[in-house]
Amino acid sequence: MVKLAAVLAVPLALLATVASLGVMVVDVREGGPNGHHIVVPVPLVLAQAAVALAPADKLRVPENEGLQHVGVAREVLEALAKAPDGELVRVEERDELVVITKEGGQIHVRVHGSKGEDVNVNVPLHVALQALPDAHGRISALALAESLSAVRFTDLVDVRDGNDHVRVYVW
Amino acid sequence: MRKSVLVGIGLAALVSLPAKGAIAQTGTPWIHVRVEEAKKASKVSVNLPLTVVEAALQAAPEILEKQGKLHLGGHHDLSLADMRNLWKQLAAAGDAEIVSVESPDENVKVTRKGNLIQVLVDQKPKAGKTPEAGPAAKAEQVRVEVPVSVVDALFSGEGDTVNVKAAVAELQKLRGDIVQVHDEDTTVRVWIDEQNAQAARK
Repeated sequence: MVKLAAVLAVPLALLATVASLGVMVVDVREGGPNGHHIVVPVPLVLAQAAVALAPADKLRVPENEGLQHVGVAREVLEALAKAPDGELVRVEERDELVVITKEGGQIHVRVHGSKGEDVNVNVPLHVALQALPDAHGRISALALAESLSAVRFTDLVDVRDGNDHVRVYVW
Repeated sequence: MRKSVLVGIGLAALVSLPAKGAIAQTGTPWIHVRVEEAKKASKVSVNLPLTVVEAALQAAPEILEKQGKLHLGGHHDLSLADMRNLWKQLAAAGDAEIVSVESPDENVKVTRKGNLIQVLVDQKPKAGKTPEAGPAAKAEQVRVEVPVSVVDALFSGEGDTVNVKAAVAELQKLRGDIVQVHDEDTTVRVWIDEQNAQAARK
C-alpha cells in the first residue's frame, strides 16, 4: 500500500506542479454525431520555455516601413492600458455585429454573425505590449515568456460556428 | 422583517453597483465618432479616451513634420508658417466671416463667432435634381465647430511643426459636437463627452 502510494505520488506531484504553473488548453469540438473532441493541454512552462529558447533571428521583424509604426502602436497600447474601461468600437451591420471593448487589462473582440457564428477573442494588453518588437525589430523572448504567466484563468479564444466549438484558454 | 431588510440591502447594492458594460461617466474625456449609412443599414461607433488619441498623435506627427507642410489639395500647398501667420491676422480681427464661397455646386462659409470657428459647407443637389425629386437628390451638409483655443494651441508650435500635444490638451476641455456631416445616405457625428460608450445611440 505504501509502495503504491509512493509510485502514484511522483506523477501526481508532477501533475500538480505543472497545473499550479498553468496550462494552456486548446479544446476543439466538432459538431455532428461523429464529431471529434480534441483537447491539447500545453503546460505554460513548456510554452514559456519554447518562446524563451526560440532562435533570436526567428523573433525578429524585418526592418521595413511597418516597423516605423511600432512606436505608435506601443504608445497607443500603453495609453489604452491606463485608460478607463469602455466600448471602443461597435459595428452593426445587417448580418454582423462587431464589438471591441476594453475591460481591465484586456481588449475583448466579439463578433456575432446572423447565422449564429460567435467569435470571442481576449487580448491581454501586457502580452500584446511584450509581443511588439523594439526599434530594431527584435522581440524580447524572455519578456514575452514572462508575460504569458500572467494570463492564467483567461479565455483567449472562443469560436462557435454551427455545432463546432473551438476554445483556447489558460488554466 | 429580517427578510425584507435583506431584500432592501440587496436591491440597494444592485443599484449602487455599475452594471458590466454599462455606459458610465469616467471623468476622462472620450472622443466619439459615429457613422451611419442608411442604405447599408450600417452603424459604426468608435469611442476613444482622448489620452489614447494624444498618445497616438504624439507618436505619429513625424509623418506630418517630415513633409513640413500641410497639403491643402493638389496645387495649393501652404506651409505651416504661412498658415500660422494667416491665423494670427485672423485672430486679431475678432468676429468675422473669414471665408465665403458661393458657387453653383456648393456654398462654403468659415466664420469666427466668439470662441468658435465654424465651417459650414452646403453642397447643392446635383444638376437636374431638386429637393422635391426625393431622397436621392438630397444635399450634403458639413458642420464643423472648432474652438479658437484649439487652433491657437495647434499653431503654437515653432517653424513647420504643429503643437499636437497642446491642441489635444485644449480638446480635453471641450464637450459637445465638433463635426456633423449629413449627406443623402451617410451621417457622421464627432463629439466629446465623458462617457465610455455612445449614450442613447443618437
